[in-house]
Amino acid sequence: MKSADRGILSEHDLKKTGNKIVYGIMVFFILLMIFSMLYPILMTMFNGLKSNVEVNSFPPHFFPQEWHFSNLKDALDYINLPMFLRNTLYIFVGNMVATLVVLGLASFSISRMNVPYRKAFYFFFLMTLFIPATSYMIPNFVNLKELGLLNQYAAFWLPAGANTFFFLLLKNFFDGIHPEILEAARIDGASEPRSFFTIAVPLSIPIFATLAIFIFSTAWNDWFWPSLVMHSEEKYTLATAIYKYVINVKALNTNIKFAILFLVSLPPILVFLVFQKFIMRGVSLSAVKG
Amino acid sequence: MNQSAALHDHLPAELESKPYKQNRWKKNFWGFMFLVPAIIIFIMFMWVPIFKGFLYSFYTVDFVKGNTFVGMDNYARALTDPDVLIAVKNTLYYMLLCLVIGFWVPIAFAIAISELRKFGGFVRVAAYLPYVMPAVVLYGLWRWLYDPVGPINALIGSTGADQIAFLTDTRWSMISLVFMETWQQFGSGMLIYLAAVLSIPRDWYEAAEIDGAGVWARIRHITLPSLRNLILLMLILQIIATSQGYQSQMALLDGGPNNATLTYALLIVKYAFTRLDYGTATALGMLMFVVLGGLGILQFKLNKEDN
Repeated sequence: MKSADRGILSEHDLKKTGNKIVYGIMVFFILLMIFSMLYPILMTMFNGLKSNVEVNSFPPHFFPQEWHFSNLKDALDYINLPMFLRNTLYIFVGNMVATLVVLGLASFSISRMNVPYRKAFYFFFLMTLFIPATSYMIPNFVNLKELGLLNQYAAFWLPAGANTFFFLLLKNFFDGIHPEILEAARIDGASEPRSFFTIAVPLSIPIFATLAIFIFSTAWNDWFWPSLVMHSEEKYTLATAIYKYVINVKALNTNIKFAILFLVSLPPILVFLVFQKFIMRGVSLSAVKG
Repeated sequence: MNQSAALHDHLPAELESKPYKQNRWKKNFWGFMFLVPAIIIFIMFMWVPIFKGFLYSFYTVDFVKGNTFVGMDNYARALTDPDVLIAVKNTLYYMLLCLVIGFWVPIAFAIAISELRKFGGFVRVAAYLPYVMPAVVLYGLWRWLYDPVGPINALIGSTGADQIAFLTDTRWSMISLVFMETWQQFGSGMLIYLAAVLSIPRDWYEAAEIDGAGVWARIRHITLPSLRNLILLMLILQIIATSQGYQSQMALLDGGPNNATLTYALLIVKYAFTRLDYGTATALGMLMFVVLGGLGILQFKLNKEDN
């Protein structure tokens, strides 16, 4: 097992002075990187708890001199975060259901049901990957407008079923399920919808969890598209509302601004810290887009 | 069932009698039914917009009075607008900066972090954390960091150098945006490279070391060649992504100062939602599709080789 313990460098390499120096420099750069990653994130939090005078003082302090937890209350008074949170969650849940039903069924059919012409169907879905999304962004908007879907949640839920990347992830997952399991269900007389919902779906919890994380982060992060599609304030998502009412507003005190930014980044950071193993595996999945 | 289907495919045509065809339809009824929702959704929200993009590039789009056919006018306007030339230049500059500033960073850190004997897990989490932050938080945060009285200028000031107007100086604005995006996104690329670095068999390094290869030789002749396909794939993905970039340019600077961060995709957005000229915006989109379409196919081919 000795060979498994080494990396590019072996224990022996590390005894040489030259390598030790290089290794030390490398560790220094990693520490620098960690500092530059964590400092701005912690700053977001601490700035949200300072007095406004202190946030704007130069040079900036790291820790607040006085802790102003009342900033969080002022933040909630300034912007109706619960309402925007609810809208964001509506979109997340609807998109999740659409992905599960529309793409789940289609990928299961392509992967496991041996339908005729499935190569052609597969290609029909796959082709859309070759077309850069920005090139049809405007017609996409015009199309939603012509369908009368603007300012409705359906404008997010329905197109969520047209995600080629998620389709491929699901199909690859179903390809890995043993056909014998489904075959046994068919012989026992289970109908196809039944074997999909009672056998394939429970087996696919891991891939659905990965998709849930992707869909959650899209719903939470996307500010531009919702700002086009939704035009009444009570339907904005969290990110859109922050963009419109916080980022580009000059009149708002900087400490309150940071308190809001902190509140908004907290849930995704917590989700990430709790599910980190899962999420990091999802990242390597996303590498094989297409 | 797989076998029986394969057998049927090889049956001579005259044996495909009517009852068999009916049977085949019945047998595959659910298979087709499962595909129907996805086909409808893909047509409605993918293929129709793509087709409309082609169609509307020859029309003036007016939601009130209806669309009118204008031939090649939109393309003529797009190709004679001096802003388009600026936008193309800015986009190429942005893509170049992303390569020079951002592309090698995740590779270097993936190799470095793979060599850590301890705390590897913590380092990974720290590197990935910015990627989890919502983009709007990123904009608010970095606007403050880049501020003339923000921490970066405080650091520069403490060394006695002149302050830098990161966002309002046309020489710095695009560089500042690329730096911000690299800060946020390198963790995700790093994890992808790290998985590949860790999957290289350790025995190869052992063998190379016994043959007298030094550390750099091992990196150059074992690590980097093993990552070759992944690096190429990530390069193409990055080119596809950066050639369409507009969100941080729009959110932080709205294309300014003095059009220094006006990218091509941002110009499309501005044509549509500021000038309300959807026709020309679609024509610009079509031109982008023609240029970028080839890249998508290249990516697909590479991916296939990779698997």
